[in-house]
Amino acid sequence: MQPNPLREGLEQERVPEASCLVIFGASGDLTQRKLIPGLYSLAHDGLLPAGQTIVGFARAELTDEQFRASMREACDKHARTKPVDEAVWESFARGLFYVSGEFADPAAYERLHQRLREFDATRGTGGRRIYYLAVPPTFFAQVVELLGAEKMVRDPERGGAYTRVIVEKPFGHNLETAKELNRVAVSTFRERQVFRIDHYLGKETVQNLLVLRFANGIFEPFWNRQYIDHVQFTVAESIGVEKRGNYFETAGITRDIIQNHMLQLVSLVAMEPPVAFEADAVRDEKVKVLRALRPIAESVRGQYGEGSVLGEHAVAYRAEEKVAPDSRVETYAALKVFVDNWRWADVPFYVRAGKRLPKRVTDISIHFRPAPYPLFSKLGMKMHANVLAIRIQPDEGISLKFDSKLPGPTVRTAPVSMEFRYATSFGAEPPEAYERLLLETMLGDATLFARRDEIETAWAWLDPLLQRWADDPAPPPLYSAGTWGPEAADELLEKDGRKWRRP
Amino acid sequence: MTDTLAADVRVDVTSIEKQLADLWRAEKGEGEGAVTRAALWNMIAHTWSSQEHARATQVLALASAAVPQRTIVVQADPDGSAEIESWISANCHLVGGGRQVCSEEVVIRAAGERVHHVPPLVKALLLPDMPVAVWWVGDLPRDHHDYAETLLEPADRLIVDSAQFNGADDLELVSRIAEQTTTAPADLNWARLEEWRAATASLFDPAPMRERLAAIRSLRVTSGGDGSFGATAGALLYVAWMSAQLKADIAFELVSAGEAAGIASVEIEFNDGTKGMIQREASRGVVVAHSDATPAAQLDCIARVLASDTEDLIVRLLKRPEADKVYLKTLKIARRLAA
Repeated sequence: MQPNPLREGLEQERVPEASCLVIFGASGDLTQRKLIPGLYSLAHDGLLPAGQTIVGFARAELTDEQFRASMREACDKHARTKPVDEAVWESFARGLFYVSGEFADPAAYERLHQRLREFDATRGTGGRRIYYLAVPPTFFAQVVELLGAEKMVRDPERGGAYTRVIVEKPFGHNLETAKELNRVAVSTFRERQVFRIDHYLGKETVQNLLVLRFANGIFEPFWNRQYIDHVQFTVAESIGVEKRGNYFETAGITRDIIQNHMLQLVSLVAMEPPVAFEADAVRDEKVKVLRALRPIAESVRGQYGEGSVLGEHAVAYRAEEKVAPDSRVETYAALKVFVDNWRWADVPFYVRAGKRLPKRVTDISIHFRPAPYPLFSKLGMKMHANVLAIRIQPDEGISLKFDSKLPGPTVRTAPVSMEFRYATSFGAEPPEAYERLLLETMLGDATLFARRDEIETAWAWLDPLLQRWADDPAPPPLYSAGTWGPEAADELLEKDGRKWRRP
Repeated sequence: MTDTLAADVRVDVTSIEKQLADLWRAEKGEGEGAVTRAALWNMIAHTWSSQEHARATQVLALASAAVPQRTIVVQADPDGSAEIESWISANCHLVGGGRQVCSEEVVIRAAGERVHHVPPLVKALLLPDMPVAVWWVGDLPRDHHDYAETLLEPADRLIVDSAQFNGADDLELVSRIAEQTTTAPADLNWARLEEWRAATASLFDPAPMRERLAAIRSLRVTSGGDGSFGATAGALLYVAWMSAQLKADIAFELVSAGEAAGIASVEIEFNDGTKGMIQREASRGVVVAHSDATPAAQLDCIARVLASDTEDLIVRLLKRPEADKVYLKTLKIARRLAA
């Protein structure tokens, strides 16, 4: 089918065909905070087709009306565009439905299947299906297998309407469990039907990394070992584990943040230009970076102790709810990473992530080599390396630090910063990451989703480190909440003659 | 929230740029870096009268909150006694983190033979590397050709409002600019059609409806206002847009009814007699489209009515970095239909 010519030039140039989006785990936090508000915002911006149908599936006994009322509350609280527009909501809510059932109950799937068929007839969804698995990993296999058994998954090889499945992290606990999850997924779906969400990839600034690198002629010539001294990645959170103690005790910061979000950032910074801005072309290049990662030789872990964050007292990790009093789980990790390929040979990528750090910030900084001849140092001046900093969140933007002459008769220099900020230049609030990712799934573009080999390669690289830490009887060193992590993390850079950039 | 950093400082026309630099230096001293100067566009508003001038100044002060710009508002009175004068100020808006973003505004008033000093002065004031838009407020330049031509020379975009056009000649003039210069026209009235285009497009999103695009027999577009050329220009653009996108001449009827300006409804008739209806529901703030042609199209397609104050329309036009190719195709056909 040819694209709709009337869409040309419109803000809503790409609108998907109507489909049934089934959310398994519809009573959960993710559905209320992100998914339904995100879908509502898409409708608000005119990016959903009239017949788009959203079906919540969960254990609680609810009618369609009760589900709509609860989702309305969720949108009132969490939608990007507030207050909720009554006309848009009315139209959006007409496409909201609910099916109650246990994840393990085949009869519930039968009921669900029946309703989906009805929607095909009444709402023009044409057999198109997206299953969003917002369920704990323990239910993953059950849901996927029952979808297959109930014949609710159409093989794309046979043509016709599509079936897609969206999977939330964690994508396993280690290489073995990740492989098992992938095996289950591809036993029912083909790989190209599986959309693994890493919400970092839905962020505007993360996508802008590709634009910065590959749409501008000036950066790429310098983007290599000849000009770059090292790269730093920081994902800092000021909050602790809050109510996620149970989960965090089994995960730790490395599984929670580094294995997925941070390795995505590393891949995007280090990858070669893809041959096209298409799903497999981009993911092929990303996975090449992961394959080139040298086994980790230097790492630091830590766990937050009592302290003060943003003027408030913070309890130690071990005093948090649902955390073992003798927990050895790391809430901070810093790694020295090397990408062993032609472009990046011997350029260290320092990666750190932590909880209860002084502020919430995600930041990448590219530190360039100093000028080859220290012309001005002879005049007693300190020269500073150029730094290109990419702020992922908050206050998204890009800055370039360089030295400039101070006005006056003597030659004195000082570092200055040239800044671009999204809020300053573009004003408007960017769409939420989930909005973009939900829309891309409906459109069938997997560029912003992780592929099976990416996940497995990342685990294969991290597993030995996690095993070493697990085997180490010593607890991770403590750092005070509200500091930038354990001292050993500073030493990791200091012994290389470098230091962490204050983000 | 918009604030003025230095309200209308009268400056010598020969040193506007220097005075602007002084303004920022003074602010830096007081504000210690809390103020950021930003510009994505050079925006020149050209006016013929003090009323138009006041309106343009107000509109662009609001627009600069969403699209930071260096604003140059020109008031030219070729028939007045010879004089030229200028003022500077800065429009500031709060963004996240207590940061203030400021756009510069330069006002130039010229009369008599001094009007011819305006184009070179404006050129000297343009920020390098940023695109240039000229918003022509009020009547298009039928006289003073040289003056208008020189002023438009650096322009990447010429913003007009076809709702203010007096006749087909105005469309002709804008079309000629598109064809003969590198300045791409943009039309506030075209921006007003966005929700109509979006609602119409949604109606034809389902595959069975898309097949019906080739089976459109006629369009009946009803719009309000006084029945003048300007009042029906939006309806004419709508018809021209459908023709341009479907690459076909479509029979049409333009109907004037009601007082509210702009399109009120569109009726699309298909070859088999079935219809599509697109209507504005002012109370709900939406444009609704549906059709009895297929079951899927019976569901209401809605498009929110977008904010349409002049500053909102200007912002929408400036947020599009490239020339609007669909508008250019539409303009060509609208000119033919109007002739």
